[in-house]
Amino acid sequence: MRINAPFVEKILTSFIKEELSKFDYKKGILGLSGGLDSSVCAVLAAKALKPTNVIGLIMPYGEIFSEDVKDAKEFAQLLGIKSRIIDISPMVDAYFSRYPTVSRIAKGNKMARERMSILYDFSAREKALILGTSNKTELLLGYGTIHGDMACGINPFGDLYKTQIRQLAKHLGIPERIRKKIPSAGLWAGQTDEKEIGLSYDEIDKILFQLVDKRMPKKEIIASGFKKESVEKIISLIKNSEFKRKLPPIPKISFRTVGHDFLFPYDWDK
Amino acid sequence: MKRRGNCDNFSTMKIALAQISPHLGDVRKNFDLHLQYIEKAKNKNVDLLIFPELSLTGYTLKDLVEDVALSPDTNPLFKKLKAESRKVSLVFGFVEEKEKGLFYNSAAFLSEGKILHVHRKVFLPTYGMFEEGKFFAQGKNFHTFSTPYGNTGMMICRDFLHYGACYLLFAGGSDIIIVISAAPGRGIQDKEAYETNRMWELMGETISRFSTTFLIYCNRVGFEDGKHFAGGSFIYDPMGKFVAKASCLDEDFLLQEINLDDIRESRKKWPYKRDDKPEIILEALKRIVKNYED
Repeated sequence: MRINAPFVEKILTSFIKEELSKFDYKKGILGLSGGLDSSVCAVLAAKALKPTNVIGLIMPYGEIFSEDVKDAKEFAQLLGIKSRIIDISPMVDAYFSRYPTVSRIAKGNKMARERMSILYDFSAREKALILGTSNKTELLLGYGTIHGDMACGINPFGDLYKTQIRQLAKHLGIPERIRKKIPSAGLWAGQTDEKEIGLSYDEIDKILFQLVDKRMPKKEIIASGFKKESVEKIISLIKNSEFKRKLPPIPKISFRTVGHDFLFPYDWDK
Repeated sequence: MKRRGNCDNFSTMKIALAQISPHLGDVRKNFDLHLQYIEKAKNKNVDLLIFPELSLTGYTLKDLVEDVALSPDTNPLFKKLKAESRKVSLVFGFVEEKEKGLFYNSAAFLSEGKILHVHRKVFLPTYGMFEEGKFFAQGKNFHTFSTPYGNTGMMICRDFLHYGACYLLFAGGSDIIIVISAAPGRGIQDKEAYETNRMWELMGETISRFSTTFLIYCNRVGFEDGKHFAGGSFIYDPMGKFVAKASCLDEDFLLQEINLDDIRESRKKWPYKRDDKPEIILEALKRIVKNYED
């Protein structure tokens, strides 16, 4: 689980630089929440592209999380990247006043997709590529909103677990105040990832690492000292979120079909 | 290149490794990139300039394979590279359409205006992140051929990780083994390199030492579809001693003079070549293969 942070920094900054140049972008844009992941991504982007080529959109829902907004704003200033605050409550409220719900998750997902929609709009206005901030833990557990916070142009640390991003954050000198925050998807006040998933990130990442990276069978992971329920919960979360990691299936009819045997690289003609 | 006394052979030669990041699917651009490095090599009086696997095409081709395929005998760019090889010998990677509709992941050795050999990749990795077997036809041989610098054998990337393939070049009499590669890095735990960088070096050290040959490994850099090619091109001498290494992240031009007398020196001290028993290996292999067919 330990990473060589300076080496990872080099990989990710070259990745961001190279991808932007391939797709003919000079600027990168990302959502800034004032939390750990988006702060790390902003630092990497600022190092790869120069701070003035990075735009951070801070998209709070009304007045909740005003502390995070302040942190995000201050951090953007510290980095010297451009930032802008866009309150999403008018758009989200307009929708829910017509189609009310009591589901916090439905509201949270709508907010995540509202932010996505704004990011894509600003991506076009600013000609800036969207940098995703989904980490490996979230991607594997499906702990993200499909077509919401999971939507992006490139995803620099999709292969780093949450706890590895913490190591990277320390190396990058992210302020302790941000590093020590309790991780939250920010879908509603008081929400924390760990409470919602029911396990700590330390535990989740250790189990995921054995399961995914080491390809260890369930039995052995449990024998190595993890609770059966925890391991099973994680396996079930992974299985039930595969749809978030794939394009939707297309029924095969012809001899050559998108998603089946029309096979070109993502970097086609780049 | 310096001749030794009244002997016909050369004793020292200059090798350069062009650790480039090819443009995916754009042969013309890659050809120009090759010419830039050829110029650089000529200015430094390089004898042999080596490019990575699929250097003329990029690696993650998938269905682009047929668009970038060429035939060495008729392709005009190949003709130009042949002409360039009068000044500097060249090794590079390309997609070869050998028979109509059959595409190979190939490596060419050009020297003195001629194609001395084309190796077609035998071991096409098709598992996990790799899918070469879906798009390429399989080569069928590991051939040692004669060059101005000595008997030479070539392998492409995964070929090299099969020690049986290395043995065939050893038994075939190779003095110099050239491996061209497009190896993505994996594993980021300890050093300022991928864990897989060490895997290639380990093989380089081992094969050079126990084959008493020079081992030259040229990898590429850059990203394709998120895969990060991990550079770290290197040279080991016939004693298994590390000679030189390129950066593992950046484009690089590794220039190195080697002394071909080292091959002879190593074989006097470590007579693995003299004591090899290819007949016994061959017969034993036949028995093994026969048994598992039963």
